[in-house]
Amino acid sequence: MSQSLDPAQAATLVFGDQRIDLLEGESVLEGLERAGVDAPAGCRAGTCCKCMQQADNPPPESQRQLRPTLRAQGFFLACQAYPKEPLYMASTEPPAPISARVVSVESLSSDVRRLRLRPAQQFTYRPGQYLDVLHSSAAVRSYSIASLPSDGLLELHVRRIEGGLVSGYLHELEVGADVSIRGAFGQCFHVADDPDKPLLLVGAGTGLAPLLGIARDALDQGHRGAIRLVHGGLQPDRLYLRDELAQLAETWPQLSIHPCVLRDAGASERQGALDQVAVQVAGSTLGETRAFLCGDSDLVRILQRSLFLAGMSSAEILADPFDAALSP
Amino acid sequence: MSLYERLGGEPAFQAAVDGFYRLMLTDARVSHFFDSVDMDGQIAKQKAFLTYVTGGPAEYTGKDMRSAHEHLLSKGLADEHVDVVIEHLGATLVGLGAKPDDVAEVASLANSVRNDILGR
Repeated sequence: MSQSLDPAQAATLVFGDQRIDLLEGESVLEGLERAGVDAPAGCRAGTCCKCMQQADNPPPESQRQLRPTLRAQGFFLACQAYPKEPLYMASTEPPAPISARVVSVESLSSDVRRLRLRPAQQFTYRPGQYLDVLHSSAAVRSYSIASLPSDGLLELHVRRIEGGLVSGYLHELEVGADVSIRGAFGQCFHVADDPDKPLLLVGAGTGLAPLLGIARDALDQGHRGAIRLVHGGLQPDRLYLRDELAQLAETWPQLSIHPCVLRDAGASERQGALDQVAVQVAGSTLGETRAFLCGDSDLVRILQRSLFLAGMSSAEILADPFDAALSP
Repeated sequence: MSLYERLGGEPAFQAAVDGFYRLMLTDARVSHFFDSVDMDGQIAKQKAFLTYVTGGPAEYTGKDMRSAHEHLLSKGLADEHVDVVIEHLGATLVGLGAKPDDVAEVASLANSVRNDILGR
């Protein structure tokens, strides 16, 4: 990245120590193809978004049609990118595993455990993203991060799955043990592009973990608009961290917590399907709200569809659906 | 000036594609084809399609249309479903301010890929 480039060939794609010089008037996509790179492409007109690439310094006009979370991560449309200066392309290598030490463990409910980890090396993430835990059996499971980078420790909420290899392992870990992690991944995080926009955070079970990170991150970045957090579970005892959430909402008047259950609702819960409750909670602000959805892929699909049909803009619905096999 | 440009170009179509997809999802004649699709990917494809049929900057080939709909043929995709899409396409364009002549022109363009969509 530190090499000096010939200014006469300023429009250059830089991949680590390799470069592709762009011809006059050539887009990044055309340059990649001319160099024999097997780059995905579709409409070639900035519409279908299939040619998305990632770089440290993409030309802003090539990011115009992407969601704010993608823009924040340097994604851009290769077919619309005509860089005027060296473009530093992101590495396509997956992040390498690092070690993290268990600093504290705490039971949050009958089957959810909170782990706090201290990574042995720098670990960069945005609250709401997820990391992989690599088990010695070669099994890999993804867990969302509930903490903020300023907390210093990584916070995970792990539900124990009956017969689950990795969740069982994480529930047995003692303080001082080391785990192998890699990351971070995911598109479901806060971008402070409009401090007054209403935010709707919806998740079930340990889908609360990323939502907590996103809510705290938004507050930390001075968000003024309403932040409505809807946490769903089968029945009241499946909802956890309630005191901590209530305290957070007391500190921050713009934050409200909406517990939701499918059965046995008490005075403090709403009863009903999570997607319907989410639509009700958003109410008349739904049209201008940005939503963050966390949970398994079936739930996320239902939430996404219901919010969209109720009038939410598709570009404002952010989600990282987890496949059942990936989220014990 | 293309119909795409006259109707407001990319910003207008970004909003219109949401409306178009809502019409499809709430129409029982076709909604089942969208049960398990990735909504974001679907909306991006439909935006490219709307852009293409209004003469905007998008390329769409018969081959794309064929491969995109191949898996739906076993679910019973037929002429009547293409008719529904063209109906909603018209309504979406009218919503953007298109005139009846424009809608007819777009419908004939959409009809030109009907055989590709239906794998014939």
